Amino acid sequence: MNGAIEADYLLNYNTDMSVLERQRAHLKYLNPGFDSPLAGFFSDSSMINGGVIDGFLGTDGLNLPMIYGDTTVEGDPRLSISPETMIGTGNFKKRKLDTETKDCNGKKKKMMMSREDEVEEDDKSKLTEQYNGSTKSIKKMKNKAKKEENSYSNDSSKVTIQKTDYIHVRARRGQATDSHSIAERVRREKISERMKFLQDLVPGCDKITGKAGMLDEIINYVQSLQRQIEFLSMKLAVVNPRPDFDMDDIFAKEVASTPMTVVPSPEMVNSGYSHEMVNSGYSNEMVSSGYLHFNPMQQVDTTSSDPLSSCFNNGQAPSMWDSHVQNLYGSLGV
Amino acid sequence: MASADKTINTDVPEKDVFAIHFLQSLSNLRTQNLFNSPDTTNYRVRKIKKAAYVSMARAAGGTSRLWSRALLRRATKGNNKIVRFPRKKRKVTWKISSKRRRSDQRAPVVEEAAERLRNLVPGGGGMETSKLMEETAHYIKCLSMQVKVMQCLVDGLSPK
Repeated sequence: MNGAIEADYLLNYNTDMSVLERQRAHLKYLNPGFDSPLAGFFSDSSMINGGVIDGFLGTDGLNLPMIYGDTTVEGDPRLSISPETMIGTGNFKKRKLDTETKDCNGKKKKMMMSREDEVEEDDKSKLTEQYNGSTKSIKKMKNKAKKEENSYSNDSSKVTIQKTDYIHVRARRGQATDSHSIAERVRREKISERMKFLQDLVPGCDKITGKAGMLDEIINYVQSLQRQIEFLSMKLAVVNPRPDFDMDDIFAKEVASTPMTVVPSPEMVNSGYSHEMVNSGYSNEMVSSGYLHFNPMQQVDTTSSDPLSSCFNNGQAPSMWDSHVQNLYGSLGV
Repeated sequence: MASADKTINTDVPEKDVFAIHFLQSLSNLRTQNLFNSPDTTNYRVRKIKKAAYVSMARAAGGTSRLWSRALLRRATKGNNKIVRFPRKKRKVTWKISSKRRRSDQRAPVVEEAAERLRNLVPGGGGMETSKLMEETAHYIKCLSMQVKVMQCLVDGLSPK
């Protein structure tokens, strides 16, 4: 029964989803129940049924370990032994597919880690010890030489949820299955995904197709932003503040024109300044009053006499505002 | 791509965070009596620009982003009493160079553009291409925020 469900699930993978999407879908499939079963898993090592999981379609001898104890999550077909255990118990990497791949060349080749049913008892005990010690990992598998697989599994994973996690990648139909090309493909998909993300960010990039043009556009955009900053800093340097500057009008205008939104919490600002050498000697209250200025101007409170506090009044006591406000703006010399 | 956005986290604080940091740095500059001597415009410009970048890096997440970390490190060369850099154990440093050598073979079109990007984005020299793009996305967001803040300031301060 388990085998049938497993086959069903695996068949669903045989779509044109990209490799990355398949990985993600797989992780999602795993993730909901991922942590809790593992807690039971490690404590219940006796439940391990000698098995890691045969992910191969169609094998009847599927001996999914009842790893998850009472949970109903089907034994994760790819919950596996960590790399160390792989190396230690070498006979795990049975190449079951060898005979089959010769027969069904055109068929989808799979990467799998298979384990024979006739694992010895001592192997099983070794397994349990190693299970207890290993971190959870989803292994990237392929049906290649043991040596390659050993060395490859030691490489850093390509797509990870945690640092030690590996994600299964399945070769698509009619494509090469060596580890390098698969890793290459994963990497390319990552890059293209990020490029799509960047495409949304950069204005005017939807018309351009092709990686090269897009990247040029992105580079131009970054350069233009940097030039803008430089230009604006030049402008700021030129604006020469006079002592009798009319602060109230300026900041009223500024607040009106820039509807800044939610005020960040004081904790965030304070923590941001915790390792900043504030040599102006202003206290944190000044800072907190500083950012409260940028609240959107709800309504002009005409009751208060001071026009500046009337702009920024949002329920605070006006007297406290004035001193803080003028402190900040006085410091700017503007 | 909703699913992609979940995995690539490029959240940027609101505009006022940037504004606060920038204003604070400007006030610091002010106390250095820069604005009294009118013949040092270039110097002033450079100081303001540097202040803008540093405040942007701080506002954008301090040392939790690669580009901001590199920026801050570059800015406080030698006299670092300000920023505390986390000492992360980089165990893959030797791998970066090997990745680099291979990266020339990997889609050379992408890679030469990535080289140009690396020169632009601070801290880009040590990143793989996919990581570089993430950092670029966050960097672009922060840059545009900073530009908005500075634009508002200039508009507010310019004579009517």
